[in-house]
Amino acid sequence: MQAHGIDPSTGFLDRSSCLDLVGRLASGVSGNSQLLAALWIDLSRLKQVNESFGHLGGDMVITQIAQRLREKSAGRGEWCRMGGDEFVCLIPNSNAEHARQLAQDLLQAIEAPLRFGELFLHPSASIGIAILDANEDPFAFLERADRAMSTAKRQGGGRAVASGDEPMPGRLGILLAREELAIENKLHLALENGGLSLHYQPIIGFDGRVEAVEALMRCTADNEPILPDRFIPVAEKTGLIIRLGEWSLLAGARYARHLDDAGHRTKVAINVSRAQLASPQFTQALHGALLCANVSPELIELELTESLFMDISEAVQANLQAARAAGVGLAIDDFGTGYSCLANLKDIPATKLKLDRAFVVVLPHDRRAFAVVKAMTQLGRELGMTVVAEGVEEQAQLDALQEAGVDAIQGYIHAHPMPEEALLDWFRQRNTS
Amino acid sequence: MTNATEAPSPSPVDALLESSIKDIGIPPRPVILDRISREMLKEEPDYKRLANFIGADVSLSASLIKTANSPFFGCRNRVHSINEALMMLGLDIASRAIAGIILRKVFPASPQMERFWDASARIARLSGWLSQYVGNHKLRADDAYTFGLFRDCGIPVLLMRFPDYHKTLAQANGEDQLSFTAVEESHLPTHHAMVGCLLAQSWWLPEETCLAIRHHHDAAIIGMPSVNPPLTSRYRIAMAQFAEHLVQRHTGLSHTREWPKLGGACLRLLDVTEDEVDGILAEAIPIMEAEE
Repeated sequence: MQAHGIDPSTGFLDRSSCLDLVGRLASGVSGNSQLLAALWIDLSRLKQVNESFGHLGGDMVITQIAQRLREKSAGRGEWCRMGGDEFVCLIPNSNAEHARQLAQDLLQAIEAPLRFGELFLHPSASIGIAILDANEDPFAFLERADRAMSTAKRQGGGRAVASGDEPMPGRLGILLAREELAIENKLHLALENGGLSLHYQPIIGFDGRVEAVEALMRCTADNEPILPDRFIPVAEKTGLIIRLGEWSLLAGARYARHLDDAGHRTKVAINVSRAQLASPQFTQALHGALLCANVSPELIELELTESLFMDISEAVQANLQAARAAGVGLAIDDFGTGYSCLANLKDIPATKLKLDRAFVVVLPHDRRAFAVVKAMTQLGRELGMTVVAEGVEEQAQLDALQEAGVDAIQGYIHAHPMPEEALLDWFRQRNTS
Repeated sequence: MTNATEAPSPSPVDALLESSIKDIGIPPRPVILDRISREMLKEEPDYKRLANFIGADVSLSASLIKTANSPFFGCRNRVHSINEALMMLGLDIASRAIAGIILRKVFPASPQMERFWDASARIARLSGWLSQYVGNHKLRADDAYTFGLFRDCGIPVLLMRFPDYHKTLAQANGEDQLSFTAVEESHLPTHHAMVGCLLAQSWWLPEETCLAIRHHHDAAIIGMPSVNPPLTSRYRIAMAQFAEHLVQRHTGLSHTREWPKLGGACLRLLDVTEDEVDGILAEAIPIMEAEE
C-alpha cells in the first residue's frame, strides 16, 4: 500500500508534501541562529536512460541515486521528490557554508559510476542552493533554489550555485557574476565621479633624456582603489574597456599638452586595448582626443599590449596605419613573450620596441637571455625603432642592457609610477639638479 | 542639429575668449563639479559649504534654483535656496543640472552661439517633458533634459577649431542620404558626436549619456536591439530627436534632414505611432513656447 504524500520509488516526500513541509519549517525559523536551507537537485541524462532502457530502467536509477542521497545527507535533511528527475533537500538549522559543503558532497556521491546490468552509467547533477531570508515567502524561497539550479545547469552542470551568485544583468545589460557586478558598479562610479586617474612612469634614455612617460590607469571607487587585474577583466567583458581606453587617450593627451606647456616636452605613452583597436570608431576617437587636448601628435605614443597580436585583423591594421599617418607613435609592449613575435614587426608600423621584463630579471647572469636581448635590440635598430627595456630594478641589469645596446630604461631603478603633480615635481627636481 | 551654420567673424572680445579655449582644446571640467564629487565621497556631505560655494556665483545660483523648480527635476515642493535645491535633488542630479547650466557659459558668447544654446535648451526642455508624457517611465526626465543640453556640445568645439566647419555643418544639415557624421567625416578626421562624447566623459557625465551623445546620428544603433549602447542611451537619443522634430514642425523651420533618416526608428523605440504625433505636438506647444 502506498503511503499518502510519499513517492513510492524513493520513499521521499512528494511535491505537495514538500510544499506543506517548507511552509511549516519556514514558520519555525526565527533569528539567524536557525537558518533553513534548500538544495534543489536536478539529475542529468535521466531522459536518455528512460529512452534507452524504458521507465523501469529510469526508476531503477532514481531509486539508487535516492539511496545515495539519503546516505550522504545522513539524516541531516528532509528529502522530497519534486517530479521526474528533480529532488529537494530541506535542511533546518543549516547555514550557507554547511549547505554548500553538503551540495558538494552530494554531487560527488551522485557522480560515482552506477552499475546498470552490464553497463556503467555516469550520472551527474546540477544543484541550486537557497537560504531562507527573513520573512521570505516559502514558495519564493523554493523558487530561488530552482533558479539557482537552472543557472548551475546553464553553466554546464556538475556544479552547485547558490542563489544570489547567479549572473545578473549589469548596468549595461550584460550578464555578470555577483563580484563582477560589484566591480562594474564601481567602474561606473569611477567613470562618473572622477575615480579614474593616470599615473606616469618615466622612460629614460642612456643619453639622460626623458624618452617618454608611460601612463598607467588607476581606479578608485567609494574611496577604495581597485586593482587593474580586477577591473580590467570586467571592463573587457562589459565593453567598458573601450570607454576607459578613450578616457585614457584624452587624459594622457591633455597631460602631454600640460607637460609641454610647463616646459617638459616629452612623449606620453598610452595603453590601448585590443577591443579599442578593433573598434571601427578608434580613429575618430584618437583624432577627437588629439583635437580636444590640442596636442601635437608626435607627443603621443600608443602602447600595444602583447595580447593584441593573437589575431591582427584588417580593422586593427587599418587603425594602426591611421594612427601612424596621424603622426602618433606605436610601441609594441612586452615584446618577445606571449603572442608577440617577429612576424608582427613586419606587419605593424611600430616605432618602439619594449622588451618584456622576463628578459631583464635574469640579467646579468643569464648570458643566453643577454644574447637574445642584444639580438632583439639590433633588430629593432635595423627597423628604425627605439628599444626600451622594462622592469629594470638593479644597477647590474642596467649595465647589461647598456652593453646590449638598448636605448632607454623603464623601471624602479629610475622612478616609480607617480601622479600628475608628482611627475611635474620630479621634472622640476631633475632640471635643478 | 544646429542653427549656428552661419558663423561670422567673432567680435574682438569673443576672439580673445576663443583663443584661450582654442589653446586648451575643450573646456575643462568646472571646478564646482569637482567640489561636488569630492563632497559626495564623504559619508556626510557638507551641503551648507557647497551651497555657499555655489551661492558665490549669483547667476549660477539663480539658474540652479530655477532648474530645480522645473518639472523635469522632480522636486515636489518649490525650493527657494541653493541648500534646498541640493537637498531636494541630491548631489548626483544637482551636479548634472549644474553641468548643464555651466556648459553654455564656458564657450565664447556670440549671437550665433546664443541661438545655438537656446535651441539646445528648447530641445532639452521638450525632451524632459516628452519623457514624462510618452516616456512611460523609460527614462528619467532629468536625464532626458541633461542629454538635450549636451547632445551637440561637440559642435561649438569644432566651430572654434576649424574655420570652415560651419560649411560642413550646412552640408550635413542638408544631407538626405548619408548620416550627419558621415558628412563631417568626409571633411574631418572626427565628428561632433565623438568630440561631444569625449567632452561629456571628461566632465564625468553618466556613461549612458556619453554613449547617447556618441551615437545620436546613428540610425542602425537607434533601431537595433543591443546591449551596447544600452536601452537608456537609445531612449535619450530618440526622445531628443523627437523633440527636435516637434520643434521643427512647430516653427516650420527644418534646419536638418535627420527626421527622415532617424524618425521611424525613434518612434518605434518610443512606442509612438505616426498618427499620435499631431496630438503630442498640440500638447507640446506650451512647453516649446515657454520662456527659459
